[in-house]
Amino acid sequence: MRGSLKSALAVSALSAIVLTGCSGAEPGDDEQSPADLVIGSADPVPNLTPGRQTNAFGLTMSIFSPLTFLDGDGELSYVAAESVESDDQIHWTITLRDGWTFHDGTEVTAQDYVDTWNTVAYAPNAFENSGQLSVIEGYSDLNPAEGEPSTQELSGLEVIDDLTFSVTLDRADSQFPIELSQAQTAFYPMPQSAFDDLQAYGQLPIGNGPLALTGAWVEGEPIIAEKYEDYAGEEAAVDQITWVPYTDRLTAYTDALAGNVDIARVPANRMKQVADDFDEDRLYSFAAPGISYLGIPYWDERFEDIRVRQAISMAIDRDAINDALFGDLNAPATAWTPSIMPGNPDGICAEYCEYDPEGAAALLQEAGGFEGELTLHFPGGAGHDDLYNAIANYLRQNLDVEAIARPSVGWAEFGEDRNSKVLDGPFFSRWGALYPSQQSTLRAMFSAAPNCTNCGGEPIAEVEAALNDADATGSEDGTAYVRAQELIAEQFPIVPLFEESYSFVTSDRVAQMTASAVGEPVLTEVLLAGN
Amino acid sequence: MARFLARRILELVIVFFGVTFVIYCAVFVLPGDPIAALGGDRPLPESVQQQLRMQYGLDLPLWQQYLNYLGGLVQGDLGTTFTGQSVSEQMASRWPTTITLALTAWSLTVIISIILGLAAGLRQGSVVDRSVLLGTIIAESVPIFVVGITAQYLFGIKLGWTPIAGVADGWPRGYLLPALIIAIYGLAGVSRLMRGSVVDTMQSDFVRTLKAKGISRRSIVGVHVMRNAAAPVINVLAIQLGGLLGGTVVIEAIFNINGVGQLLYKAIQDQQGTLVVGVATTLVFIFLITNVLVDVLTSVLDPRVRND
Repeated sequence: MRGSLKSALAVSALSAIVLTGCSGAEPGDDEQSPADLVIGSADPVPNLTPGRQTNAFGLTMSIFSPLTFLDGDGELSYVAAESVESDDQIHWTITLRDGWTFHDGTEVTAQDYVDTWNTVAYAPNAFENSGQLSVIEGYSDLNPAEGEPSTQELSGLEVIDDLTFSVTLDRADSQFPIELSQAQTAFYPMPQSAFDDLQAYGQLPIGNGPLALTGAWVEGEPIIAEKYEDYAGEEAAVDQITWVPYTDRLTAYTDALAGNVDIARVPANRMKQVADDFDEDRLYSFAAPGISYLGIPYWDERFEDIRVRQAISMAIDRDAINDALFGDLNAPATAWTPSIMPGNPDGICAEYCEYDPEGAAALLQEAGGFEGELTLHFPGGAGHDDLYNAIANYLRQNLDVEAIARPSVGWAEFGEDRNSKVLDGPFFSRWGALYPSQQSTLRAMFSAAPNCTNCGGEPIAEVEAALNDADATGSEDGTAYVRAQELIAEQFPIVPLFEESYSFVTSDRVAQMTASAVGEPVLTEVLLAGN
Repeated sequence: MARFLARRILELVIVFFGVTFVIYCAVFVLPGDPIAALGGDRPLPESVQQQLRMQYGLDLPLWQQYLNYLGGLVQGDLGTTFTGQSVSEQMASRWPTTITLALTAWSLTVIISIILGLAAGLRQGSVVDRSVLLGTIIAESVPIFVVGITAQYLFGIKLGWTPIAGVADGWPRGYLLPALIIAIYGLAGVSRLMRGSVVDTMQSDFVRTLKAKGISRRSIVGVHVMRNAAAPVINVLAIQLGGLLGGTVVIEAIFNINGVGQLLYKAIQDQQGTLVVGVATTLVFIFLITNVLVDVLTSVLDPRVRND
């Protein structure tokens, strides 16, 4: 072992040199050509099939084109569809634009849409997004409560010719053209080759969009999409997009800080700090169709009195929380749907959504006070701790109740306790709509058969009637849904908290980024500096 | 030796079945329904959930699920996650990364702690000795994520010397900083052990004899002291290597290293039973095998251990 000390010293000196002296590529390296965009994404994607993906919206919206599109102002336009028309809001005729092709060169036909929707809705395929099609007639036959479905096709779909097909709905639905818009990816078409091997298609989806994947996706590896030369729609502003997978959002954010990533989402725990980390022109915050609430355990009689629920709402200083925790990027909610929704009745919650500690205490007193401990429940490990601790503080101070915030182990525990009415206090509740219509959020939360079980508080029969009425008589302007919100305001089943924003940071290569009406940036239209 | 080995391997098998069963049960009794949680706050349609439960056998009783799992395991099939991905594929893409990271960290621990231990032990009570003792305490008492994030900010963003995320730059550039941070946490124990060992050995009779014979200090330390002082340290270092493989979770998260630690963490959060059991079992296995190897190594170095 002679000289081992010497060699050990040499090795450590060497590693010190490597550590300190090896300065590699400078941030914002110019290996990429100018119109290549690098996106840092932190959501694990098991499957890229549009009917199955639940967190790869940016990618799916880049390689597919929707039938209809809603821009940031809520304006509806037609992309892959030439028209979507109906006389009675039940029977719809969808006419496709001529000359569109999939990335494999085959033409996009009405048959492709019908076949795809049948595949998505067929229960044994277990497509995660199949619920988006539930309004189509025959969906319940493909999704029976028990056992195997007896048919494989939605009875409401019929091909008329190569570019035209008709859709019959279960009930009148004036919002159907909006439901066909960009974030409802279950409505995207798949080519005939997809049906032979759905699993393989999930790794290499062939779309009808402005960009096409360059190769099958491999777990943990970047995904690259290039401009599709034969795209029939408006040409993309970028030539190539690379999605680099990150294990968590904070790391992607940090890499954006160093300039290695062009676009990354702002993680929840950096919202306060992001304005210090990034220059103003590198931070984009888009109003999103998401809204958070404090759910009410209506099975617990302590919350039966409407004044208790209103008092809880008035005791929370939404502005202060927004400033302290969200860097003012979110907005205090003033209605039961976010203001980005067309025709949203902003301010319908009135004084009950405004901070008024004395009024809140008086109202609770009037209702006879609150017995026992008030436990706030929220899913743990998702970054909600600060928010719920803050709310518990306000309730403790302003209402003089023993309020505490309790996280669950994870989503699974929280979801089950909520569904089975085990929660014994107000709880986390939110809805992120996939299409910007009040209908989406109201139906998901407050209808007789809500998508989010027990999220919307005690069901109100009149709301269901008002929703059906609005669906039948309404239009894209959304004003028909105000009646339903009035009824909700009268009963105050749950407490609206914040309208969400989706915030993104960019490298200085990004000159302009715009969002569509679903709060997601339109990646194919990102303008890069110097282009 | 053969009997010794046979006994240890038999123990391995028993521990293997015990551990898989315990972990399987533990994941199973976690509150909540992993299928319902797949959709997060946008729940999946009931018919889809039912279909998935059936597909993954979650509607069967626990013992039947475990037997099915074991049945697959015997045929080398570790099953699939609830999103249909193969567990063995998920692990195969991550093990090399974690092993590289752990080995790099371990090597750094070995090199640095032996140097520090020697330097401190040979000059007992000196400034060097005191600074090593103090320094290792400080290093170990700062939480690993604080060191990780600070180092990432300093070396990655401010100085731009190391990549901030990922190991795309390959070895050593991508691995060095995270490995060094992990190494810091093994340093304190090992360098102190080394120091104590050196101090003891230096005071032993045979060293005094060597000195009396006029052998140079360099030769005494390099040949005789090192060999004798190393025996207990090797034991600790080897056990540490096993622990390191599972202990890289925090650093993997901070540096976006797609390793086994990350996989296990996410799997537990999502209650991906098959994945948790797969990863945990492999970790237990590696730990057990390292232990057997250490025992064998020790019994070779020190025959007294073998007498049983």
